Amino acid sequence: MTAVHATTKPEVPVLEVRDLAVHFGGVKAVDGLSFSLTAGKIFGVLGPNGSGKSTMLAAVTRLVRLTRGELLFGGEPYHHEPPRAMAGLGIARTFQTVRLLEDRTVRENVLLATDDHLIRGRAARRAVAERVDQAIERVGLTKVRRLRPTELSYGMQRRVEIARAIAMNPRLLLLDEPTAGMNRQEREDISALMRGLQAEGLTQLIIEHDVQMMVDTCDHLFAMTTGKLIAEGEPRAVVRHPAVQEAYLGSRHGRGHARA
Amino acid sequence: MSDWYAANIVLVQSTMTTLLLALSIQLPLRVGVFSFAGVGCYGIGGYAAAICMIRLEMTTWPSIAVGTLLAGAASFLLGLLIQRLNGLYLGMATIAFTLIIAILAVNGGSLTGGAAGLFGALGDLTTGSILAVTLVVVVVFALSETGGLGRRVDAVREDPELAAAMGVDVSRYRRMSFLVSGLVGGLSGALTILLRSSITPAEVNFQLVVLALTVIVVGGFRSWAGALIGSVIFVWLPKALDFVGEWETVVYGVIVVLAALYLPGGVLGLAADLYHRLRSGRRGGETDDEKGAGGADAGPGAVAGREFDQLAVPGEGR
Amino acid sequence: MLQDVFNAVVLGSIYLLFALGMALAWGTIGVLNFAHGVTFMFSAFAAHLVADRVALPAPLIVVLAAAMGALISCLVQALVFQSILRRARNPRAAEMQILIAGIGVAVIPLAIAQRLTNGAPFGFGSAAEQAQVYQVGGLRLTTMALVVIVVGLGLGVGLAWWLKASKRGLALRSIGVDPETASLMGANRTSLALGTMAVAGALAGLAGALLTYQLGAISAETGDVLLIKAFAAIVLGGLGSQAGVIAGAYFIAIAETFVIVNNWGTWADAVSFGLIFLMLLVRPQGLFGRREVRRT
Repeated sequence: MTAVHATTKPEVPVLEVRDLAVHFGGVKAVDGLSFSLTAGKIFGVLGPNGSGKSTMLAAVTRLVRLTRGELLFGGEPYHHEPPRAMAGLGIARTFQTVRLLEDRTVRENVLLATDDHLIRGRAARRAVAERVDQAIERVGLTKVRRLRPTELSYGMQRRVEIARAIAMNPRLLLLDEPTAGMNRQEREDISALMRGLQAEGLTQLIIEHDVQMMVDTCDHLFAMTTGKLIAEGEPRAVVRHPAVQEAYLGSRHGRGHARA
Repeated sequence: MSDWYAANIVLVQSTMTTLLLALSIQLPLRVGVFSFAGVGCYGIGGYAAAICMIRLEMTTWPSIAVGTLLAGAASFLLGLLIQRLNGLYLGMATIAFTLIIAILAVNGGSLTGGAAGLFGALGDLTTGSILAVTLVVVVVFALSETGGLGRRVDAVREDPELAAAMGVDVSRYRRMSFLVSGLVGGLSGALTILLRSSITPAEVNFQLVVLALTVIVVGGFRSWAGALIGSVIFVWLPKALDFVGEWETVVYGVIVVLAALYLPGGVLGLAADLYHRLRSGRRGGETDDEKGAGGADAGPGAVAGREFDQLAVPGEGR
Repeated sequence: MLQDVFNAVVLGSIYLLFALGMALAWGTIGVLNFAHGVTFMFSAFAAHLVADRVALPAPLIVVLAAAMGALISCLVQALVFQSILRRARNPRAAEMQILIAGIGVAVIPLAIAQRLTNGAPFGFGSAAEQAQVYQVGGLRLTTMALVVIVVGLGLGVGLAWWLKASKRGLALRSIGVDPETASLMGANRTSLALGTMAVAGALAGLAGALLTYQLGAISAETGDVLLIKAFAAIVLGGLGSQAGVIAGAYFIAIAETFVIVNNWGTWADAVSFGLIFLMLLVRPQGLFGRREVRRT
């Protein structure tokens, strides 16, 4: 059965981006980007600030208008769908800045992810509640689930965001700098969480500045500068790639220098 | 008791109609739409109901139904027209809408009675029936504040983009808020006018917008209960404020400013915050322990609950 | 006909005087001040109280009203708006709270003036009679009408030029466009905001005194009506453009005069409300306005 499956049907990528371009006036934030994400892997995007990473993510979740290009999810084009259709497709994301409801508790914030109109009946409700509690458990916030985000540390707030995305039961999880503002231990924990999700078959795409974490966590890296892909492949190879050294690590070196 | 009731029946009734008007302004604010169209709808509902009774000789409740539905329809269409405007622009467009309703009434000829308005539209309304209608509205509003719907409404207000990412149809919520606000505003106008038997264009003015807003700002804009608190305060305050006499309006102004400054959630918001603090405070010890212990009991693969203590330096792992 | 045009220009100058301060505060520091109407009224009212006791020359009364306006405006900014801005979660919430607080603040001076005047209009006593009437080629002109036009246009053009050309004006405009950049430029937001509100308030007071002279007397509610008209003028011209406000104010005045001359007087107020509507639907950034770079 499995063998037949593998031979007759070449694997359809979870997400495929074809010749994506997003221009703001004269600024080409993303310009001719193509890549595809195969199921069950963790992908990472490296790139200095302003390289178009976040714009790419906004385009993939339909928050900005595409100047050009195609987006396919599970082989189906979806670039004409509104942003609100992403949840239904199975695309969940976190945001670069913390975006939580301040007057709602942690648990209620995560519940927001499951609030579609169709949940009827007790059994369905209980299943949803369980999913939410599991998501909170996974990010380690069970004990503080009744507190409001304002009563939590920044790192914890970021984890609420991740729990909310997980609770949407997505087929693709997009994480926009999930560990910004976290200490090293917290970063390692997030990394472990991502690998745990991968073991369950979840495809993930992560944007991060922490090169070490990206190399340790991701199966496949993309490197971007000025809206274009300059390298992709096995993480260590990508990091060693001369163009990447020049564009990303070079600038990081400069920063390190300035600090010293 | 019955003496008290007989003496205060007008205040009891006007508490309910004020509550309805306040709710019609509150709902759009809860969805993040800065609309005052509810006051214009109050005018539409009032005039429509009065015209039905006087000119068409309809009975009380059908007249009220016509006023309510007409106001709802007008508000819905207005919403379709202006939903793309943001913030203050939308607010001012809806104030303009409200004032245009008054000018239409002035120029409506014999239909609206011109500047003198309409007289003799006394409906057959009992306090009990008004209470019943108000209760229905309040229950619907209360339901919209609980559970998933309540959370989605909060998300649409606080962060529309986030709401969309969660699969919420933001513009549908905004359109619905116009419709419901119009219906409730129209109902409030129809009830008020048929209780009072007359309406003039001068009543549908900016001062009515101020009153409705005042009620919500002081009571709290997040919940129907806030609108109720505000309505009770402002309908009954004049009685309590007898001692300040003619300076009553000055006291109103001071109350609104103080509320806008120190109680962004109104009286109700203050109460809710205190309640939350009390509840989480009771479990406070447990919570602190968990933070300090680094969440030792967290399962494998889970992130430990640890206090954020140092700023991460990008790329420090290398 | 010529007389109607002249009257429209006088009316437009009054709208302009009133709208200038409001547009300045809204377009630069982002404060849509609903207390601007009562600042206008109460400054004139305070000047009226003084003029009732001491006989003062007209220019002094106008200066007095302007000073009073600046004082009221500064008080509102320092005591109310500033602390809302400090505490608000996000710009959207602040915008709304400022509007609501402005409406609340407006109730107080209005109630005081209504109480003290018993609802009667007030003026500057005998001063109004000093106004001289000239007949120029069938045109009936008064000194005050000419003063209103000259001051209105002069301040309108002057302010527009100052915002464009001077260094402080530039800093102020950059606050309106991008607060972060402005703070990088070394513009102190708090004191600039207070200064702006003082100028806006002075303009309101000046407008109050001049209109009282022009009409002979105003009532406590006069400011409320002008508030919506001024808003219409700003929306019409485009927020952030002082030239737009000038055009908007005169356009509304001319349109209203046209309606009144044709005996559709009861529809006159509908002109400004209708224009707000139309403009917001067709061209939300106004005739001269910059595009709103704001994401929802």
